[in-house]
Amino acid sequence: MKKVGLWIQTSLLWTTSLFSQSLDLFGYFESQFMAALVNSEILQMQSNKIRLNFESDYNLVHFGANINALTYHGKTDWAIPDYLPENVVEEIPVALHSYYTITFQDEWILDNAYIRLAFDKWDLTLGKQQISLGSGYAWNPTDLFNQKDLFDPTYEQSGHNAVRFDIPFASRVNCMFLYEPDDDWSRSSKLVSIKTGLGRFDYTLMAIEKGWTIHDYTAFSGFDFQKILDTRRMLGGSLVGELFRWGVWLEGGYNRMKNSDNFYEITAGMNYTFDFQTYFIIEYYHNSMGQTRKIDYTLNDWMRYLASEQKALNRDQLYLLIQHPISDLTDLGISAVGAGDGSIALVPTLHSTPFENGELLAYANLYLGPENAMFNRNLGNGGLIRLRVYF
Amino acid sequence: MERKFFLLLLIALTVSLPGQSPTGSQIIEKVDHLLNPKTCWAKSKMTIQTSSGNERTFIYESWSKNHGEKNLIRYLEPIRVKHQATLMLNYADDIWMYFPRTRRVRKLATHAKKQKMEGSDFSYEDMGAGNSFVEDYTSKRIEDQTIDGESCFVIELQRKPDTDISYSRLKMFILKENFVPVRVEYYNENHPDQLLKILIQSDILNIQDIPTAMKMTMINEIDNTETKMEFTEVQYNIEINDALFTERGLKQ
Repeated sequence: MKKVGLWIQTSLLWTTSLFSQSLDLFGYFESQFMAALVNSEILQMQSNKIRLNFESDYNLVHFGANINALTYHGKTDWAIPDYLPENVVEEIPVALHSYYTITFQDEWILDNAYIRLAFDKWDLTLGKQQISLGSGYAWNPTDLFNQKDLFDPTYEQSGHNAVRFDIPFASRVNCMFLYEPDDDWSRSSKLVSIKTGLGRFDYTLMAIEKGWTIHDYTAFSGFDFQKILDTRRMLGGSLVGELFRWGVWLEGGYNRMKNSDNFYEITAGMNYTFDFQTYFIIEYYHNSMGQTRKIDYTLNDWMRYLASEQKALNRDQLYLLIQHPISDLTDLGISAVGAGDGSIALVPTLHSTPFENGELLAYANLYLGPENAMFNRNLGNGGLIRLRVYF
Repeated sequence: MERKFFLLLLIALTVSLPGQSPTGSQIIEKVDHLLNPKTCWAKSKMTIQTSSGNERTFIYESWSKNHGEKNLIRYLEPIRVKHQATLMLNYADDIWMYFPRTRRVRKLATHAKKQKMEGSDFSYEDMGAGNSFVEDYTSKRIEDQTIDGESCFVIELQRKPDTDISYSRLKMFILKENFVPVRVEYYNENHPDQLLKILIQSDILNIQDIPTAMKMTMINEIDNTETKMEFTEVQYNIEINDALFTERGLKQ
């Protein structure tokens, strides 16, 4: 395994030197301000991010890399028990509350760094790269590598260190093999998928085996929560196309677990642009791992959901988005996420391009659910303003 | 070779025999043939004049093949949309968009054809539906008119039933000299008397013997905005690999 890592690093160094004369450098600066009303107190956090992209092409070889530098200011330590329902907080001994904290730390990371060799019949991509799977908008049951933010589902995802082959067989048939190395072969991710097009639909079938790590947030191992190592084998697929002029998609996966209960996830959605330019999305998500009643949510359910270890607290969720251009440069929208426990979060959104290479995003998140529910008011109503400048 | 020559001669004669005036459909077929060469590569500059008086400029490359049946557009500038690309197959009945920041390809349904391309006054349908004038409309020639001193055929295009095109009718002013449409009026899908947009084509150059309007301006009568499009480079009938018009080509 070390040899593979060394080979990847050497290849990247070689590539960097090869392309040094024709390196394309671009990126963006992003400043973000967030605020939330929690227990009658307004809590604030600000972050700044610079993303630098490096790209170069030389004959059949493409090199790409991103470096992210992030700083956080204001309230950077968020004590989770402040936001959880009382019956769940009771499970945590008061002396251990400090362990249940999410801390935003400044970081400087090589988010992506890869080379892609594009041959006549196939592509090979080596290194840290983005992996995007599935046809869903807010949820992707077949994407075991990323988890979307429901309030901002189109935000870019982090890179994964992997070796990927893409083999197109015909104009609308593509095979993909991906290997994401971990400590050993059994923990490493293996993916095989085939995508094809027929009529007005694109179909994808895939199988993934992935080492899966979750935590038991009620047990400690030293100064950390106890790790639970499992293996997830998923057989899934997706389709996307058109019915009666509406865009439609369906995506699902059955997960066979080595050490825990098997479960399945499915999402189905549709979208439409009306003549008056209003855009509409509706998407339903079901995760058999989720609970059906809010009274059944445990500390582990909440913590795994907040730590992105599982995608759902409640078994059923619904996402709605209505967006309309109020001027040539500004879209106004509102999205709503509802859970099977009767709770709902509303997210009014404004997106604008006030200048050529600038983007402004502002949204409010309003939790309207009752105590103990997935989108309960304790989570803190608030909002975010983000200004991004591309260079 | 001889057969080809006679065929071309026959087409020319049907359109230009003295005393035998071409019909609307013959003229539209000529326009369609002119606007959709076998293959085309172009580099273009698109400038959007917003209602608030701001300007937005985009530079993109485009490739088309099979007389406009396959189209690929890839943005070069501004940086905000750099490498973003749109693939349109089957005359824009099938559309895929590539977003480089997330490396995600999304298939769009035909309703998305109505969406403005990058906020411009051109919709995806305006850009990609190469054969639309012939396939989706019936054409009728009306009284000739003169525009800027140039004699023009005027054709009324009426949407055929059961087509999902976004306009109820078009009125096209076509130069008699070279069959370039210099003015196209687009009317509302549900209110055929409401003028939505006007396309003005100008600066006609002969490129590889194909008369080409180097400048296009789409004027939006409803929003009071306009979008100028300008070819900075054009090449016709070049070799373009089919692999470009695939998801793999879209992402490269």
